[in-house]
Amino acid sequence: MKAADILSACVMLALSAVVFAATWGQPYWADFAPGSAFAPFWVASAGVVVSVALIVGALRRQSSPPAEWPDRRGLRRVALAAAGLWAVVVIAPALGLILAAVLFMLFLLLLVLRRPLVPSLITTAITGALVYSIFSAWLGIAFPKGIFGI
Amino acid sequence: MIDALVSLGHGFGVALTPMNLLFIFIGVCLGQLIGALPGLGPSAGMALLLPVTFGIPPATAIMMLAGIMYGGMYGGTLTSVLVNVPGEAASVMTAVDGHKLAKQGRAGAALSVSAIGSFIAGVGAVTALVFVTPPLAEFALKFSSPEFFLLATLGITATASIGAGSPLKAIMTAIFGLMIALVGTDPILGTARLTFGTTELLDGIDFLPVAIGIFGIAEVLSSLEQSYDSEPIKTRLRDMWLSAADWAECRMAILRGGTLGFLIGLMPGAGPTVAAILAYVTEKRFSKHPERFGEGAIDGVAAAESANNSAAHGALIPMLALGIPGSASTAVLLAALVLQGIRPGPTLLVEQADLVWGLVASMFIGNVILLVLNLPLAPAFGALLRIPYEYLAPGILVISLVGTFATTLSLFSVGLTLFFGMVGYLMMKADLPRAPVVLAVVLAQLMETSLRQSLMLSEGTLWIFLERPLSIVLLLLVIGSLALPLLGLLTRHRTERRRRAEAKISIATE
Repeated sequence: MKAADILSACVMLALSAVVFAATWGQPYWADFAPGSAFAPFWVASAGVVVSVALIVGALRRQSSPPAEWPDRRGLRRVALAAAGLWAVVVIAPALGLILAAVLFMLFLLLLVLRRPLVPSLITTAITGALVYSIFSAWLGIAFPKGIFGI
Repeated sequence: MIDALVSLGHGFGVALTPMNLLFIFIGVCLGQLIGALPGLGPSAGMALLLPVTFGIPPATAIMMLAGIMYGGMYGGTLTSVLVNVPGEAASVMTAVDGHKLAKQGRAGAALSVSAIGSFIAGVGAVTALVFVTPPLAEFALKFSSPEFFLLATLGITATASIGAGSPLKAIMTAIFGLMIALVGTDPILGTARLTFGTTELLDGIDFLPVAIGIFGIAEVLSSLEQSYDSEPIKTRLRDMWLSAADWAECRMAILRGGTLGFLIGLMPGAGPTVAAILAYVTEKRFSKHPERFGEGAIDGVAAAESANNSAAHGALIPMLALGIPGSASTAVLLAALVLQGIRPGPTLLVEQADLVWGLVASMFIGNVILLVLNLPLAPAFGALLRIPYEYLAPGILVISLVGTFATTLSLFSVGLTLFFGMVGYLMMKADLPRAPVVLAVVLAQLMETSLRQSLMLSEGTLWIFLERPLSIVLLLLVIGSLALPLLGLLTRHRTERRRRAEAKISIATE
């Protein structure tokens, strides 16, 4: 957990630096009131102070429980699920969001989680029908429709 | 007092319409299921289902979402008692003794006392809410921009100070939330800020992608790490009866847990989890048999469950009266109000009386429905736990993506949701609290606008925060909430140093 604390503090330091840099050209104080850079300046400053305190605290700590990372199988499942989710966003304009989401469900159930075929198909069909009836039929949301027009 | 009762009567008129009753029922049933699912808490469930509520009137939507919030408190008990996995964080203490009781063949008694305790504490907390909220909202009408800035700041600093875990990490994640909220157009001058030339970011980062990503997607990804193919302990309807001895043992625990939970729920940042832990520890001190705690103490289960439900209801008071959410769930509820075009704050009670009193009345009705669902129908809900979680997880992820698109009609927002999902997952692994991020995103605009308005009024001097007694009290509370963890840290260091010095002396004398 010591390494995780130091790493997360470093990420916050980097984010604070980005906020400082991106609002550098904006006014801290306008004619009569605080300007656009006022809040970013103080938020980023607080980010720096807290990150430094977290790093110092982590370095001074003598013992710390280890971070709970998943085993190899768990990590593979999480990574594939995340990749599948990003793939939905990428292929949605071409295939349509609903079809992309259905393909993602089948990918996750059959290939990643290795569930039996029939229950996976039933689960996908039920979820697809639920999503279509609530969002498309009831709420009238116009989802991106791809080459198949779904 | 009479006014409050008249308004409550009017609220029952609103809540008892067939449509509202149906959605209260749907809300509490979903809450019960979401609470029972390991890895998906009520705030995640509320965020996921927020887009679904766009097709229904605001009052109905809020009643349904609130039903998910307190229904989750009841549902979390099932998995804790029958599987020994807390369905949501606030049920962690229930898992300790509840599952031990289940192993002793007393699962029915544990579930029964949890349902009755949650019901009594829930109804008690809503009754208190009826009488506390109106005077508090009236008092808050005296607030001006310095008080609102300090109140919003207190909402964030108290989360770090009182909430479980490291205060420093909680403040850091709250700062991350503030940074997210800075993206977009400056609310006063109207200039683009931190958009990096991306037009999609000009409107800022919406609350929903952050909440769905950080709570919903992150929790599902984390739960995919391992299989939950568990075999829950079976329970039957006839096991649900409590004996006179059980009731005698639990009634004071319910009263103490409920009262403590309500008071903790009022504090910003504490929430049902802290309430359940404190009530359990307090009950151990009061118990005639403290040795049973950890081995199957039914009064421990009663105290923890009463406290978490009472806290969930109590947390609504600052949200309804002041427009300041005290927990992640009330932050989602507040966001739902904003998305429905309703302005939260002290005037809510006057401007949206139907909504507020309808919501309060719906909580009485919802608690009755949940008592019925959890007493005779607990074995049936228990049987649902046999469905492997892996069949539900892909569906939850799909609803997250589709729901985000439905809210914003933009694939960019879906991408943002996934981004925050990954961030939330990494935060879980790094043991960083996620609730402060969401609270900060919700409170940031109020904080920045009221701070800048205050400084405009005072022409740049900070004395404006010391001009009125009310703002001085709030300022002291903010300072106190920041100093509290610091004092705790110093005391811990001193104790550790003393222990080390004593150890050295004992080694030297041996």
